[in-house]
Amino acid sequence: MNEDFLKSAGIIALEAGIRRGVMTEVYLLSSCQLNIEVADSKVETLIEAKERGMGIRIINDGKLGFAYTCDLSAEAILEAVNDAYNITSYTTFDKYNQLPVGPYEYEVMQLYDQKIKETTVEEKIDMARQMESAALAADSRISIIERAGYEDTEYISVIMNTNGLYASGQGNFSGMYIYLVAEENGDAQTGFAMSLKKWIKDLEPGAVGREAAKKAVRSLNARTIKSANLTCIMEPYVVTQFLGILAKMVDAETVQKGKSLFAGKIGQAVASDKITLIDDSTWPDGAGSFPFDGEGVPAQRNLVIENGILKTFLYDTYTAAKGGVSSTGNAQRGSFRSLPEAGPSNFIILPGSNTLESLISDISKGFYITDVMGMHTTNPISGDFSVGAAGIMIENGYLAYPVRGVTIAGNLIDLLQDIDAVGSDLKFYGSKGAPAIRLKNLCIGGE
Amino acid sequence: MLEKRVLSRVLEEAMKKGGDFAEIYVEEKTVSNIFYEDDKIEKINSGREKGAGIRVIKDGSTAYVYTNDLSTENLCEAASLANHAAESGQTFSSPEIKLNCKSIDNEIKIGQKSEKVSFADKIERIISANSTARNYSEKIRQVTIVLGDVHKAIQIANSDGELVEDERARVRMIVNAVAAEDNIVQTGYESAGEIGGWELLSRVSLDELAANASGLAVKMLSAPPAPAGRMPVVMSAEAGGTLVHEACGHGLEADLVQKGLSVYKGQMGQKVAASGVTIIDDATIERKFGSFRFDDEGIPGQKTVLIENGRLCGYLYDRLTAQKDNTNSTGNGRRQSYQHKPIPRMTNTFIAPGKEDPSEIIKSTPQGLLVKKMGGGQVNTTNGDFVFDVQEAYIIEDGEVKHPVRGATLTGNGPEVLKNIDRMGKDLGFGIGTCGKDGQGVPVSDAQPTIRIKQLTVGGTMMSNGPSIKRIRRK
Repeated sequence: MNEDFLKSAGIIALEAGIRRGVMTEVYLLSSCQLNIEVADSKVETLIEAKERGMGIRIINDGKLGFAYTCDLSAEAILEAVNDAYNITSYTTFDKYNQLPVGPYEYEVMQLYDQKIKETTVEEKIDMARQMESAALAADSRISIIERAGYEDTEYISVIMNTNGLYASGQGNFSGMYIYLVAEENGDAQTGFAMSLKKWIKDLEPGAVGREAAKKAVRSLNARTIKSANLTCIMEPYVVTQFLGILAKMVDAETVQKGKSLFAGKIGQAVASDKITLIDDSTWPDGAGSFPFDGEGVPAQRNLVIENGILKTFLYDTYTAAKGGVSSTGNAQRGSFRSLPEAGPSNFIILPGSNTLESLISDISKGFYITDVMGMHTTNPISGDFSVGAAGIMIENGYLAYPVRGVTIAGNLIDLLQDIDAVGSDLKFYGSKGAPAIRLKNLCIGGE
Repeated sequence: MLEKRVLSRVLEEAMKKGGDFAEIYVEEKTVSNIFYEDDKIEKINSGREKGAGIRVIKDGSTAYVYTNDLSTENLCEAASLANHAAESGQTFSSPEIKLNCKSIDNEIKIGQKSEKVSFADKIERIISANSTARNYSEKIRQVTIVLGDVHKAIQIANSDGELVEDERARVRMIVNAVAAEDNIVQTGYESAGEIGGWELLSRVSLDELAANASGLAVKMLSAPPAPAGRMPVVMSAEAGGTLVHEACGHGLEADLVQKGLSVYKGQMGQKVAASGVTIIDDATIERKFGSFRFDDEGIPGQKTVLIENGRLCGYLYDRLTAQKDNTNSTGNGRRQSYQHKPIPRMTNTFIAPGKEDPSEIIKSTPQGLLVKKMGGGQVNTTNGDFVFDVQEAYIIEDGEVKHPVRGATLTGNGPEVLKNIDRMGKDLGFGIGTCGKDGQGVPVSDAQPTIRIKQLTVGGTMMSNGPSIKRIRRK
């Protein structure tokens, strides 16, 4: 696995494109993953994966074609170029189908942790074991460890196009996760925790295990409540679930297709002035940090919402051309198997200055939301949501008793306007980061 | 596909450290997808993929290595990596593995293979369906149509000397319509899919799907929000089987049961549902989205009764979980691709029909909610709590179907709901979906007759001001 091999495979495709007189882009990825899951201190599953492949995008007089191949032999590459080229005879002309024009200068980022490679499989197994035993030791009511895992990924990506662009980068990261169950008096509740780090030394197996244990135990013996409108606090994890929906609403493609409530609202207040939301692919040690995006456009920091005012959408080259602006470096690529799409990198609500305690302390009756179910059912077009929720009742400034089996419903726009305080505890779940937030009023559906 | 002697050699390498079982799964796949939106072809994707996954099991531990470099040398290297499962460090001289090809007479016909139907052909149908959807009403603002197909050739060989070679294909079409009026936006969604080729187009009209999607989106524009609270709920057969899938199916997958993560653990032989309720998982139903000849471990697809007349009588097993319970695999070991190890999964799961006329069930319901179309759902298998969204629902009053309502979600508890089924129709309606578990998506279908649930929580939005609608893509 090396850059030169990927580069030479890419050149075969680019040359084939040039011979046909079409704009061509190749995206090559070579990755290696390790995943270890332990159960009762024993390795239950160990997965090692090696994968490489190429996605080929061809623009023929404004008509787009795409094909991918995992087979990087010259013959297979030429077939894939052929497929992508043939597809352009069916697709519609669109003058905004463009490729970025290189060359670019890229920021040098520290994305490779040599220690991940140097740590042996046995040591990594041990980290998973430590996490598992810390969780079990945290509370006697922890009855089952559903999965306790360690994983790391190393990758090289190369992007080249016939507009003179060449970008290559290498990175790796490691992470741990644990899912467990606490039981008491016939009630069973799940808890989970995860941690994803650029530097393996920053992984804290014991802390991850204890966090999951705490989450499961605090939900035991939950009851349901009567329907009410209550002041609510959302845990960072829950906020990041909502961020997933917000990310769709600010991506330029969704906006341009009229599928976002934010369309036409640049410069307007779309959230409480407590909210500043950024997208930043240069965020130090962020899971989504990389020198360039999925089309080779350099990384940058974008203010999406500043003190409640909507500042920008997230653009890739196509949507930027259509919107008459510059790409914000937000072409995202899940893999070489698909076309890039506009989307977030590190998507972060910046923290405020309130500790969690101070957010809770002046609530006489409220709801502390720790989990939501069915978030994907939220409608990004209308912003309406109605999701299952669990959490802890707040009474007289303290967390009182756990609650489950309720639904929270409303509209994302109202929810954003209703935020009256933002916590100081910024927490990341993958590339989404958020502090806890407080909402003046939310409709809780119970009995 | 690989030669027998290569497969044998890789397996022999994999067994060198004294594994209990080794397997190689080889896959060659072509996929194509057409996305149509905004009155134009948004994109066409086409891909070729090949790869192999090698698994070694020792004392219940699994090592899984996959790669898309299928050279013999690289596969042997992958096989020796998979030896990690057996940590003894000793090297055994594993016996020669002779492979015998398994065959069964359950033939699945693939009529029109994907490469036989040109993009131009498919696009013509899409353009026609797009006009149908848009001409339905001027309130239709957006129409998205997706046609996709997958064609796979697979080989599964294992250290027991079994070899299975199979060809699989499936096709799917989706129409999503968005209607808008006075700041209210509603969507309607229709899909169809089956195992086989594009002969689907001759049996299911894409135009009809398009008209139905638009019809639903427009109808819901004028529907008031659903009421909230506990009430009787009638689910019509055409609602599909999201309920049985989420409320019951996942909890009967043996890996979850064995880990103690299912509310149905330790309940074999016990009453877990109302009398008359029979739940079946069947991979052999012709053409259904979850059907197959062999599962992804080379075991023939079969029919498994999970709950019979209210009593729990079976779990869904793959090889590994079956071995732990000293039983046979039920042919439910499935994987998304060579990149995934097989785990117990559902295929086509359904509540068997009862005897009643569906219209009688509605007539005898004084007040409640009629669910005609389900959306997606999610379940916590440990305690059985679920939430689903509803795409199309109506108020029942005095045994009559009244006005539609929008934005309903259903929340409840699986075992509780199964015990609360008090009426069952003689009809049966299927829905298709992609079921996600442990990061793997596999095609499934699910079904139920018209049923009534005595009491279920409808989490509506009566208390809030905003309108509410749901996305209906199955997760």
